[in-house]
Amino acid sequence: MSIQRKNTIKVTEIQRFCMHDGPGIRTTVFFKGCPLRCAWCHNPETQRVESELLFDPKRCIGCGTCLDVCHNGAHGGKVTHEIIRSRCQGCGACTDVCPTGALELCGKEMTPAEILCEVEKDLAFYGASGGITLSGGEPFLQGEGAISLLQLCKERGISTAVETCGCFDASLLAQAVPLTDLFLWDLKDTDSDRHTHCTGVSNKHILKNLALADSLGARIRLRCILVNGVNTDPEHYRQIALIAASLAHLDGVELIPYHAYGGSKATLLGLADNGRKEWIPTDGQMAQAKETLRGHGISVI
Amino acid sequence: MEFYAINGKKRPIRLSEETRRFAYESLNRKYGLETLSHRAVDLDDVEGYENLSMLEKYDVAIQTIVREAPLRICQGERLSGAATLGAAIRHGVPARYQGETICSSVSHLTVDFETVLKKGMLHIRKTAERSLEKHRGTDREPFVQSCLKCLDAFDIWHGRYLDALRDRPEYRANYQNLKNVPHKPASNFYEAVQSLWFTFAFIRLCGNWPGIGRIDYLLGDYLKKDLADGRLTLDEAREILAHFFIKGCEWINGKYIDSGDAQHYQNILLCGVDENGNEVTNEVTYLVLDILEELGISDFPTSVRLNRNTDEGVLHRVADVMRYGGGILAVYNEELVIEALVRDGYPLSEARKFANDGCWEVQIPGKTFFEYYPFDGLQILQKALQSETTDWENIDFEALYRSFIADLREWCSENILKKRIAKFATKNPSEEWKWNPQTPCSVVSLFEQGCVEKGLSYFEGGPVYNLFSPHIGGLADIANSLYAIQKLVYEEKKVTLPRLLEILQSNWEGEEILRQYALHRYSYYGNDNDEVDLLVKRILNDFSEICASFNQRCGYHFIAGVSTFGRQLEWAPHRTATPYGKRAEEILAANCSPTPGTDTQGATAIIRSYCKPELVRLASGAALDIRLLPSSVEGEDGLQALVGLMRGFVTLGGFFMQPDVADAKILRDAQERPEEYQTLSVRVSGWNARFVTLNKEWQEMVIAQNEHST
Repeated sequence: MSIQRKNTIKVTEIQRFCMHDGPGIRTTVFFKGCPLRCAWCHNPETQRVESELLFDPKRCIGCGTCLDVCHNGAHGGKVTHEIIRSRCQGCGACTDVCPTGALELCGKEMTPAEILCEVEKDLAFYGASGGITLSGGEPFLQGEGAISLLQLCKERGISTAVETCGCFDASLLAQAVPLTDLFLWDLKDTDSDRHTHCTGVSNKHILKNLALADSLGARIRLRCILVNGVNTDPEHYRQIALIAASLAHLDGVELIPYHAYGGSKATLLGLADNGRKEWIPTDGQMAQAKETLRGHGISVI
Repeated sequence: MEFYAINGKKRPIRLSEETRRFAYESLNRKYGLETLSHRAVDLDDVEGYENLSMLEKYDVAIQTIVREAPLRICQGERLSGAATLGAAIRHGVPARYQGETICSSVSHLTVDFETVLKKGMLHIRKTAERSLEKHRGTDREPFVQSCLKCLDAFDIWHGRYLDALRDRPEYRANYQNLKNVPHKPASNFYEAVQSLWFTFAFIRLCGNWPGIGRIDYLLGDYLKKDLADGRLTLDEAREILAHFFIKGCEWINGKYIDSGDAQHYQNILLCGVDENGNEVTNEVTYLVLDILEELGISDFPTSVRLNRNTDEGVLHRVADVMRYGGGILAVYNEELVIEALVRDGYPLSEARKFANDGCWEVQIPGKTFFEYYPFDGLQILQKALQSETTDWENIDFEALYRSFIADLREWCSENILKKRIAKFATKNPSEEWKWNPQTPCSVVSLFEQGCVEKGLSYFEGGPVYNLFSPHIGGLADIANSLYAIQKLVYEEKKVTLPRLLEILQSNWEGEEILRQYALHRYSYYGNDNDEVDLLVKRILNDFSEICASFNQRCGYHFIAGVSTFGRQLEWAPHRTATPYGKRAEEILAANCSPTPGTDTQGATAIIRSYCKPELVRLASGAALDIRLLPSSVEGEDGLQALVGLMRGFVTLGGFFMQPDVADAKILRDAQERPEEYQTLSVRVSGWNARFVTLNKEWQEMVIAQNEHST
């Protein structure tokens, strides 16, 4: 496994013309690596820090070019192309030669300056509202890189947003808050046990960070995913409202219904499709959550 | 009574129930089908018709049309006049002799409505009478006489409406207005709208398809004065203006389906600066946006002239109306357009008046003859690559490029200068260009400055400016082809040029790996990749130079443009495989847009690529199509995004952009052919995803939501 170059950020993708990762037109930078393992994760390719091979069998024409260049014997299969993941070192030799793009190396090291270059391409479109959104994965898992990137953007007058799961080294906040115009802060569950059960991590640290960020003056939009049968209970809605009400600089609460999409990316990683239809919340549940929040005087976006 | 919206949003209601009903019926073909039931007047009984000159036949036709065309007075209509003969819908003078339409009519022009509004038809008659004195006894006299006969015809038709309305109290306002206009200058907003409509309807009655032009510039001052004097409210003005748009639907019939039945080049422009550089935007601008928003009438394709100072409020209104779908509003970056026109030799004050030809090619309204000549540049390149005299083993990229440009020049010279232009004019032995006798067009000539005065028709060099515009098609495909050759052959040496040309001849047969490599491993036009974008720039610069070198041949001014207007469909069977991995006969790039399926970076990257060439050298224009999903532009974030796209388009120096908010039908197609729709974005839930990256179930759900909204 190669060692990451110094002062670089491992990203899975930089997506231009994103319109719902904060206000206006945004360029979203997806960081690779996340401390959480949400059962419903929509971006499983951003969970691990290491580069990973994505394989799309639909695009493969079975030309065998990858077999010739792989030193580890990671490509096989007699009838159809199979990836032997245990052998893959993520070296990218096969993705360099794959003619169709069926093989793709997910995870690219970029310096903050290189990322800025990409982000600056759309300067003409950002206006006063648009800009960069750091997403992932958890951007602050690569805290130093994230801070440098935010710093560079601020120097260039680009508006900044960070989408975070809230689980990161608290000491980063003192630097991050003044550099971030808007936090899109995931609040996956207010029930601590359930949070641990479904994401692998307790929410205590996340809530503590949230309070700290608020005390430092961060503008925060809470993003709450609703997963049917998991966190669709009225007490959770009430707790969201209370937490939201406690924030001095709340931008609003966004309620996000779980959807079964994400499976396609999981299969590209050779994982089982984690999409589950029974998790999709009902319209009634969404409405109830909204009502509860509004009842507490919270603005729902 | 619902007016369709792609985004499923309820359209606001500001107009009266009666007006809305009128709109609903017009949009649902009531008057279009009626128009089709009277195709044309008959000239079979005209004595000695066979012996008349073509111009005389035309005059008789116009005289007969104005006497015999059915009058149409719709219930509750606030404006009078209607183009009621069906052959006009098919671009012909609606008069038949022995069953045949006598001649074709004129389109691709925006006529001089300003003179009609401000000086009245009487002014045009005086000009014609003076011209007759000047040209009496010359070979120009018959044309000037024809103009006078058309003015008589106008009065006859006008008189028939006055007679029909006189004793009908419910149309008293119509009658009172028509007593004054269009022959006298309009004295208030209502008269101005009636004058504009009646003149427009007359020109269309005679078969022609004129554009409207800058409606807020034409009508703004009348409304301002009426509002100040308290003789009209904004609500009343909106009703009146709505009838203008509704009556413009009188040709909708649903019968002719190829490029659609709502396309008669009756274009409208909004906003932008006047000849002194002051912003025009006024109450009329907002009323037009209100009407488009409420009724969703797309029959007057409307474009907005933007500049860096365009008011934020206007941009928001424009974005808001766009979101109902239908591609109802397009935008010009007027700063670049005006600069292009000034570079092309127009005085600044004149350039600032630009409108379009009823499509998007820019021109100075009421002063311009415009003819365009579309051709497939890709086929020229493909033919060049089949040349048997070239030493393909040893040619370098630079020589290859130059030989393509030489072929392009040769092709344009042969087909445009020698063949096409010869139809319009010939050179006599004393080396003077002389106009050939043309299809008669006296009706539109009345409304083009220069024609009546000079005694030369619209087709004979009469207008002040006479433009001939070669339009190159397949631009993205040419650049992508050259770029793929540059990479595959010269940089990466994946294949030799002679071998690649063989492979293309055999339509990539047996070379799937290389084809996939060419198709997927390079970043083509539309992805903000300088390497290929600068090739586009180079081709366009060379093409505009070729066009400029033709200038002043037979009095035409040559301006370069880029378009396909859907011709990529008819060109497809004639195209061989391309070096960038497309097979023969595929449907490739539209207008100045990327080749379908090769753009993967979204709308901002497409706009960036499109803005890199020196569009300022294209005085005719280049159109960019942008497709957006309704869900991508919903909510305040979506509105901001649309505004951002328009701002960026202006800042980066675009020319013309037509954003389209697409519907479920397109999504269904996107599902069938995902490779063609890679940049369609969709609002998934709390974020955006590209539609084709969603799995089947999700696509179905998004489609269902879209279908539900219809």
